[in-house]
Amino acid sequence: MKTTGVIELIPLFMFAAVFAALLLGYPVAATLAGVSLVFALGGSALGVFDLSDLGFLSGRLFGIATNQTLLAVPLFVFMGVMLEKTRIAERLLDCLSGLMSGARGGLAIAVILVGMLMSASTGIVGATVVTLGLIALPTMLSAGYDSRTATGTIAATGTLGQIIPPSIVLVLLGDVLSNAYQQAQLEQGIFAPNTVSVGDLFAGALIPGLALVGLYLGFILLTAWTKPERLEKTTEKIRERPSVKELTLGLAPPLLLIVAVLGAILGGYSTPTEAAGVGALGAVLLAFAYKRLNTSTLRETSRETLKTTAMVFFILIGASIFSLVFRAYGGDELVRGVFEDMPGGEVGALIIVMLVLFLLGFILDFIEITFVVVPIVGPVLLAMGFDPVWLGIMIAINLQTSFLTPPFGFSLFYLRGVTPRSVVTPDIYRGAVPFIGLQILMLLLLAVFPSLATWLPYALRG
Amino acid sequence: MKRLAQAIDAFQDHLGQSLAWLTAAMVAATVVVVVLRYGFGVGAIALQESVLYMNALVFLAGAAWTFKENRHVRVDIFYSKLSQDAQIKIDLFGHLLLLLPMCVVVFVWSFDWALASWRIGERSPEVGGIPAVFLLKTVILVMPVLLALQILSECIKLIAALKREDHGRD
Repeated sequence: MKTTGVIELIPLFMFAAVFAALLLGYPVAATLAGVSLVFALGGSALGVFDLSDLGFLSGRLFGIATNQTLLAVPLFVFMGVMLEKTRIAERLLDCLSGLMSGARGGLAIAVILVGMLMSASTGIVGATVVTLGLIALPTMLSAGYDSRTATGTIAATGTLGQIIPPSIVLVLLGDVLSNAYQQAQLEQGIFAPNTVSVGDLFAGALIPGLALVGLYLGFILLTAWTKPERLEKTTEKIRERPSVKELTLGLAPPLLLIVAVLGAILGGYSTPTEAAGVGALGAVLLAFAYKRLNTSTLRETSRETLKTTAMVFFILIGASIFSLVFRAYGGDELVRGVFEDMPGGEVGALIIVMLVLFLLGFILDFIEITFVVVPIVGPVLLAMGFDPVWLGIMIAINLQTSFLTPPFGFSLFYLRGVTPRSVVTPDIYRGAVPFIGLQILMLLLLAVFPSLATWLPYALRG
Repeated sequence: MKRLAQAIDAFQDHLGQSLAWLTAAMVAATVVVVVLRYGFGVGAIALQESVLYMNALVFLAGAAWTFKENRHVRVDIFYSKLSQDAQIKIDLFGHLLLLLPMCVVVFVWSFDWALASWRIGERSPEVGGIPAVFLLKTVILVMPVLLALQILSECIKLIAALKREDHGRD
């Protein structure tokens, strides 16, 4: 191979080096940036990298600092953390399980519904899984659920937070996809490109997200019918049925908050950032109404918000340094070349990307994949003519499945952390299997009927 | 040395808590912007931009404290199973060979750029925006400085911990 050939392959080595370094366990953002800079400085010493390319760095950082879309992130985080502090999840679960107890599978159904509502408000996988694992799992086990069904339900429900809007990862994915979409069109010579927004992604995620909830519920009902021994031992009530007043007080406020935030965005009345700000205030008011608002709650919420925000943006900074060096070495052309030579054309390319994302999901979480991998493969796939909203939802559900798949799925890790030792790890793994099947079913449905994702956003645009 | 690390940590704690309040202020400012726009039809560009400035402060200046609190995401499938000794060595390696070069590059390559903004007194491109874009650009320089400071503190603590471990083994 000639030297030029080796130089063209540098981006590949860089990707491999970054990946290997990530496995050491040093914080992701700094690893991304540090390894890339080693390649830049090393390349400069060898005369194959022009250091003045790093001059784009300040512009990139400034772009991140002035990004209006990403402003929604700290505001949504604030809302989610505040809701968590008000212990709304506990209240909801108590309420719903009271309502459903008496029916076989009632508890599992309550867990799925609470998980759906919690996910919609927080959108952080770890938080939902841990909370449900702590408050619902003991109840489910003592009611007689077999450990597989109980843990599978909780692990799967916990991943819903990524797909059910308003979710933070959809904000990030929306921002990245909108850039990728612009880039793909500009390269095709379209100078008045179509756009895709975070709101479009929220709208696109709504039907598939609810459909997933429907599939989960269907699975529980099917289990109640065919294998009732896996669910509640008795159908005696574990708790008094809540009064209408109790039910309204528990359910209505968080439900209203979510519907209002989502409605404002989907209806096109406000930007996600504005809706997130108002939603955060709503969460504060809710905390006040539930008498949980005090200085220490506020201080804790703001500290958590700062740390989560800094964490997310720091990964974005690290990833943008990585992509700067990756592009300067011609990584974009390399990736495009690989896809153009791929057998199976566009569909083949899509399947490969989905498989790679699925495997990366074992190691990296949603934020890192969104910032590092999607900017590389997104423009190529979008240039092939895939719909940006549809692609975004496919990626989101794909990663959600990855987080649920043993032995590396994040959701299973989090759940293991809060599950009593009496539940063995293989049971947690087996419990996830039927839900992974449902996820794959959803992906296939989306592949066959793309309008599940694309109909609502385009209908709302009119 | 230990004192120095403690002093740096205390400083970052104070700074972190002060910055954290900005997130609450961002919520308040966003709500005011929304009320003004939808309630009174008034656009408050400067206030809207102030949310942007606060966010930049939060994540750029807050990155160092987040390091101190060990809240930056790691890929810990192997890391979590390593001995404490190995974890310390990985952290030292990362601080000095990954994070520190990042700080140096960001600072060096952004310095002239921020300075140029100061020199011309760069204003917001929006009418009625904040006439101090140079401040926002300066915050980008603050990030590597605070991070470098925290690297110093972390390394002091890690080396001390490493010595303690060696000692314990004798």
